[in-house]
Amino acid sequence: MDKDKCTGCGVCAEACPIRYEVQLPPEEEAKARSAYAQATDEAVVAEIIDLYRDEPGNLLPILLDINSHFRWLPRPALDHLSQELQTPLSEILRVASFYNAFSLVPRGEHIINVCLGTGCFVKGSPRILAELERKLGVKHGQTTEDMLFTLEVVRCIGCCALAPAMRVGDDTFGRLTPGQVGKIIDSYTKTANL
Amino acid sequence: MKLTSLEQLQKIKEKGLQQTYPDKIKIMVGMATCGISAGADKVYKALEDKIAALKMDAVLEMTGCIGFCQQEPLVDVVYPKKVRVSYATMTPAKAEALVEALNAGEFFGENVLCRIDQEEFLVEGTKKTYANPHPPELPGDVPKYEELPFFKKQVKIALRNCGYIHPERIEEYIGRGGYTALHQVLTGMQPEEVIAQVKDSGLRGRGGAGFPTGVKWEFCRKAAGDLKYIICNADEGDPGAFMDRGILEGDPHAVIEGMAIGAYAIGASQGYVYCRAEYPLAIHRLQIAIKQAEDLGLLGDKIFGTPFSFKLKIRKGAGAFVCGEETSLIASIEGKVGEPRPRPPFPAQSGLWGRPTIINNVKTWSHIAPIMARGAEWYAGFGSETSKGTTVFALVGKVNNTGLVEIPLGITLREMIFEIGGGIAGGRAFKAVQTGGPSGGCIPEEFLDTPVDYESLGALGSIMGSGGMIVMDERDCMVDVAKYFIDFTKDESCGKCTPCREGTLRLMEMLEEVTAGRGQEGDIEKLEKLSRVIKKMSLCGLGQTAPNPVLSTIKYFRDEYEAHIWAKKCPAHVCKELITYRVVPDNCIGCQLCRLKCPVEAITGAKKVVHEILQEKCIKCGTCYEKCKFDAIVVE
Repeated sequence: MDKDKCTGCGVCAEACPIRYEVQLPPEEEAKARSAYAQATDEAVVAEIIDLYRDEPGNLLPILLDINSHFRWLPRPALDHLSQELQTPLSEILRVASFYNAFSLVPRGEHIINVCLGTGCFVKGSPRILAELERKLGVKHGQTTEDMLFTLEVVRCIGCCALAPAMRVGDDTFGRLTPGQVGKIIDSYTKTANL
Repeated sequence: MKLTSLEQLQKIKEKGLQQTYPDKIKIMVGMATCGISAGADKVYKALEDKIAALKMDAVLEMTGCIGFCQQEPLVDVVYPKKVRVSYATMTPAKAEALVEALNAGEFFGENVLCRIDQEEFLVEGTKKTYANPHPPELPGDVPKYEELPFFKKQVKIALRNCGYIHPERIEEYIGRGGYTALHQVLTGMQPEEVIAQVKDSGLRGRGGAGFPTGVKWEFCRKAAGDLKYIICNADEGDPGAFMDRGILEGDPHAVIEGMAIGAYAIGASQGYVYCRAEYPLAIHRLQIAIKQAEDLGLLGDKIFGTPFSFKLKIRKGAGAFVCGEETSLIASIEGKVGEPRPRPPFPAQSGLWGRPTIINNVKTWSHIAPIMARGAEWYAGFGSETSKGTTVFALVGKVNNTGLVEIPLGITLREMIFEIGGGIAGGRAFKAVQTGGPSGGCIPEEFLDTPVDYESLGALGSIMGSGGMIVMDERDCMVDVAKYFIDFTKDESCGKCTPCREGTLRLMEMLEEVTAGRGQEGDIEKLEKLSRVIKKMSLCGLGQTAPNPVLSTIKYFRDEYEAHIWAKKCPAHVCKELITYRVVPDNCIGCQLCRLKCPVEAITGAKKVVHEILQEKCIKCGTCYEKCKFDAIVVE
């Protein structure tokens, strides 16, 4: 883009067919691409697509399955999907970037969801989150360097009566105190190192 | 086997009753998400291992949540034909002791919550009495279920089976009268009669808006088109609410049966349950339930041998609050971005794939079968003049008894909070109760005698909502709470219409300034003005109600806003920029606890030396304040 001529009118951004694409810095982009090993992963994606092929409105279920298999939506998988469903990539990216469940960047092995629902909020979940951010050295929405943990926030997991709560992968923890958080994280780090 | 007659259903019912009430001791563990997160899975394992080790002749089962989440993990012991005893806050060690006592034929006297002498079979209108007179081996001081303040005022219709049956067994649902209403409707009622009965019952949409269910069905029945759809809205996005999860995890067939009856009434043959992906266990149990219903021919082609066919599918949400709005939900099922569209046309005329569609909430659907079986008059006998029946609330926050509560509409907020909820935890003072989630408002103490119904809560600037009820005490800052909700709606605004997208962002910025002590004269008026604009101009319910938390907190807690703006103080000591933690030298004995617990080493001092907080390092996390046993740390 020629900065001297740009008036900031926004027409190009409006017309851009890939405006929903997440722009990664080059080194992140390389990491993201290498996390998707072509041959085996392609078979997985093909299998998922076949599962829902004839169903009307199948984009969301397919994306959810891909997202849960890889823990994120690898770009080559979306390219593949775009061709199979005959849907423009821009439309797929629009859906993928709209919903909170999807990630367009690789996520860690364990996804930590700290509940920030109202029940948890009034019982002190911001402090649980702050403790996790300190412990893991990342902000929410980020992944640790070793790709072991991704820290995310969720708006209510329905565990309000046992607030504050969080979920690590499929395990739910209730009645948390900031002091317990470290031990819970350590238990996952240990299993990973075995 | 596909069921075609009432006799066949009866046979399954007998089998189900045998399973629910076996001839030997049965131990049940509440295994909904709430129970599991409190450790019910470990308790279950301990029970299982101990029963196996002692080779005891007992049945171990899981069940849904009976509602008293505060007391989880809950374990129930059913003594055949005698009594059922509930045990609260169980641990694996206590579970082992329980099995040992049972094996020795003794009564286990610890952690007893209550005894249940009889169970109500709501759909049939009968009561199953365990024993009469009361079993002598049970101590006399065990309170009865109906005497506990938490359960006393509750009337369980939607939650009728939660905590009583195995949620993954259709026989047990049928055992308590399940699917008889569907049989009755399909074999003996015209669709118009079904709709009339729902209309007469006075049932209103339990998703929050409160539109009369029967009227909506009638619109859809009369809409032109041979293909119609039924949807169950289980996208319970309201933070602080888990009623739908409780029902789906504890009694999924109640929803399926209600939907099948609804489908017959409006003439639909395909249904969807749109459930949020954050509820994996609910989805899992619903999948099992649908499969079982299909196997028995209660879903699929020619149900009960009649020409009526109905198929049901689950669609998972993907984490978007706006998808609880019906037009967004439809767009999401269609595989699109979940953005709302203007109404009319309403979904009852043109919904999923342009066809007439009925969307009702999980709670609404689970009320349908009892209304059909017991009649409109029976249902309308509960509740108040304009709001009939019962509704389920998730009572959470700073009350002693948190959990799922089903109450007849019209009881007062005070009864909810101080009787069922058992008052404020820690003996602190009540400040506000929040209903309706991000669309609702905060109600202060002077209105605690307001009845809980659609109109009364609406008049106070809140809404009934889907059923979240969050109680706040003196340590909650109302400006911070308003900021929390606006932060939520700002994140969840889909971005389609400008008032909601930009307006919530600007509200957020203004509230951030106020909570950071940078508020100025006129800020409150600006907040009010912008709120009114957002309410009037937004496209869907999300934006139209988003400013309610701001408006209601300004209306009832204006003094707190003023304290932030003028005195630069946060009266509840929540807003970090406006508070400081300080050591009271006279009280500090130099125990070092706070110094060791401080996550950022902001406290200096040594053994038996008065400590000091380095303000430039302090992150105001409050850890020292909570850890100190000598009241030597104050916040101001």
